[in-house]
Amino acid sequence: MSAASLEASDAVGVAEAVRARRATAAEVAERALARIAARDPALNCFTAVLAERARRDAAAVDAALARGEDPGPLAGAPVAVKNLFDVEGLTTLAGSRINAERPPASRDSACVAALRRAGAVLVGALNMDEYAFGFTTQNTHYGPTRNPHDRDRVAGGSSGGSGAAVAAGLVPLTLGSDTNGSIRVPAALCGVFGLKPTYGRVSRRGTAPFAGSFDHVGPLARSTRDLAAAFDVLQGPDAADPAASRRPAEPVGQGWRQGIAGLRIAVAGEHFARGGEPEALAAVAEVAQALGARETVILPEPHRARAAALIITSAEGAQLHLPDLRARPDDFDPMTRDRFLAGALVPATAYVAAQRFRAWYRAAVRLLFNQIDVLLAPSTPYPAPRIGQERITVAGQEVPARTTLGLYTQPLSFIGLPVISVPMARAPGRLPLGVQLVAAPFREAALLRVAAHLEAEGVVAARIA
Amino acid sequence: MSYPAPDLAEARAYAERAAAAIGLPLSAERIPAVAQHLAILLAAAALVLDFPLPEDEDAAPVFEP
Repeated sequence: MSAASLEASDAVGVAEAVRARRATAAEVAERALARIAARDPALNCFTAVLAERARRDAAAVDAALARGEDPGPLAGAPVAVKNLFDVEGLTTLAGSRINAERPPASRDSACVAALRRAGAVLVGALNMDEYAFGFTTQNTHYGPTRNPHDRDRVAGGSSGGSGAAVAAGLVPLTLGSDTNGSIRVPAALCGVFGLKPTYGRVSRRGTAPFAGSFDHVGPLARSTRDLAAAFDVLQGPDAADPAASRRPAEPVGQGWRQGIAGLRIAVAGEHFARGGEPEALAAVAEVAQALGARETVILPEPHRARAAALIITSAEGAQLHLPDLRARPDDFDPMTRDRFLAGALVPATAYVAAQRFRAWYRAAVRLLFNQIDVLLAPSTPYPAPRIGQERITVAGQEVPARTTLGLYTQPLSFIGLPVISVPMARAPGRLPLGVQLVAAPFREAALLRVAAHLEAEGVVAARIA
Repeated sequence: MSYPAPDLAEARAYAERAAAAIGLPLSAERIPAVAQHLAILLAAAALVLDFPLPEDEDAAPVFEP
């Protein structure tokens, strides 16, 4: 097997070939760097390519194998991370021009370090909305990331570079962050898998924060097994992240192969069944049919959950950047600046009420998960809008094209539920769409079982352009 | 009594005064857009404040002394 034949493989497939010495990590890394050089200028996924580090890490993987050591479950798999993850020697931009003035990070973030320990080879850092405040990765400083399936359209955001880099086949596995939908939206719009783990399940140490109450980090990938492998590498307690759960890691291993027998699966109704284009809602129906899910459950007050998420996000994000908003507002991206400024003015009473409502909503939704294991909802109300598009007509109503992308994701990350966005297998020429699989806290394994089943049935599949 | 969702003029007046109170400079050309975003946030706030929460429903902080 040559490294060339691994280009269509997922990260686990690459690692299997490298560990079996059918390909070298060095060859795989060179191919990835060559793909990025050839194709990224048209897509703008990467804000930094780390050729030297990639070659060094790949050589270390090959050397470990030559010594008879196991370099880890992701041995030689090329990966890239959203540019809010600290990477030693690289300035952490978080999509901003302001942070470009900061010194390079002195060490890797917890997740980047974990990927490296697992043998993955980091090849670069990826584009995002400034400070993660957006759903489209239309970054004025660094340019928009283009959707590999239609370059006139957005990749989704804020982890747009992470979604597009996988969808373009530049790397099989990336990391993103998700505060209100920032892993799930680009995964859906680019046609790849995205996992937002349970809040606190994966350490955020060494990542630039946005809104600490909801910030999550997680993988985007071209297969369910890659999500499972990455999740196992990343999950576990970390005293350095104040929101990290102290619950011990619960590795999924090969548990994603278990099938869906015994899982109670239902469709989310009302809020999650309206306000979207017919094709986005039909995707949920198609997944439900494939899973034999006939029951509908109603989440209480999801529109209020979305409103509360907006208040908390705006207030926390703006407070974080208040010194810069006061001193140098002109250095912010015009796409985020006025929203940050407004967020700085949110009344405290609204913020506190939103946090108390969050506790109420968490308790109410927990009750639902006594009766079901997995809930289905659309990932986005429509496929990728055009770059620069301000308004969009959805189900006969004109709405803001960017913020409405979070209609179905915000009420779920609001209470930290684990979610996988699975990419629908669609006819060529049709834009990608995703469906959210949602579980009770810390039940990622159930989601991976459902995603793997759907993938095996051909209902969902990553779309590589 | 439900909470009001302020109109744009009220949001603008609030934005100008609240920004001044916390030393946040808002230039004249920026005020309309900020007021528009603030109106969205205050409408969201009204929706949340309208929901009757039991007195003992505490927030869920992760702060652990």
